[in-house]
Amino acid sequence: MRTRKLYIPIAEAHVGMVLGEDVQDNYRRPYQPAGLTLSDENLHQLAANHAEFICILAPDERSDDAIADDAAAATQRIQTIFQGADLTQPATAALLQQVLLYRSA
Amino acid sequence: MDIPVTQDGVVASSEQLPVFPALVTRILATLEDPDASLTLLAQYIEHDPVITARVLSLANRAATHRRMDTAVSDVFTAISLIGLAQVRQTALMASLSGFLDQVAPVTKRHYFWEHSVVVGVGCLELAPHAMQPTNVDAALIAGLLHDIGQLWLARFRGEAFRRACGDSQQSGAGIEHSERALFGVDHACIGAWLAAHWGLSEAIVRAIASHHAPDGQADEPLVAVVHVAEVLSNALDITGNAESRVTSVSAPCCAMLGLTWDDSAQQLFGRIEARSRHAMGFLR
Repeated sequence: MRTRKLYIPIAEAHVGMVLGEDVQDNYRRPYQPAGLTLSDENLHQLAANHAEFICILAPDERSDDAIADDAAAATQRIQTIFQGADLTQPATAALLQQVLLYRSA
Repeated sequence: MDIPVTQDGVVASSEQLPVFPALVTRILATLEDPDASLTLLAQYIEHDPVITARVLSLANRAATHRRMDTAVSDVFTAISLIGLAQVRQTALMASLSGFLDQVAPVTKRHYFWEHSVVVGVGCLELAPHAMQPTNVDAALIAGLLHDIGQLWLARFRGEAFRRACGDSQQSGAGIEHSERALFGVDHACIGAWLAAHWGLSEAIVRAIASHHAPDGQADEPLVAVVHVAEVLSNALDITGNAESRVTSVSAPCCAMLGLTWDDSAQQLFGRIEARSRHAMGFLR
């Protein structure tokens, strides 16, 4: 099945989700590895460590057409936000490209 | 220039605003003192029942997940459970977001509050990237207050400020240009006057003053942090505000933060978005 990485607030995490990236403590030490399927115990551990968010591998059940439609809508919105931007500036142009990539995932 | 705004006028009218939270300046003072005790921070927080409730709520959530038998009922225990830094940031966020909620006019309250929280969270994420040591709590304060000048304009120059917003929408230029045409100064300058009046540090004042035009001061990490956090808040459209616009991101500021806008930016975007939604859920 197709998956995509999503960053979600910890309040939206639930048992059965699969971690997309290591979860680290405040000292940047990983304590739950990418690929782990979350159990009730893991969720308690995340809360006890004051985790605010996690990255998960979410099943992507959208059709190809739906993915394309979502990406087109996101692109249109981002182009509106950047419509007055000076894209001759390399930093601003590169930022735009990364935002487009992020929202089309 | 239609309606000039002066520093004296801004400072005088600030007396009509809700009182700036003393907890913020007290916490800032403890940041300058590495020996500031845990007891002192607990005492400051306990002076404010609303902030105390926020901190205890967070601590009790952690206690539940650690399967502790007794509820946390004092700030001192909360600090020992969830840590000094977390308690300090929770207190600052709750205190300043509550203040902004009181200052903002009803029609703009929702957007200003959310935008300020997102920029504050962005500052927390970006401060550790700076090439020079940067205090994350000062970054959080500067991020939360960066648009306080817009709240002042919306409250004291409401009609003209709406005109400035409309002009900016039509022209596609940044709001600061329309503000300068109408008032002689922009909201960043007004915000800096207010921050200085409230006794905030010079670094915070400069970061607020420069958040739309940072290039001359991009060697100051706090200036770079607030500018980039503000740009990302708009670029990522986390608040969904129809007026969100990006006109540029400062290359010198990006360099100060080691940001090259390659694929590593995807993780940064995700962290800012998820942490912002977490903070908005907690503070609402």
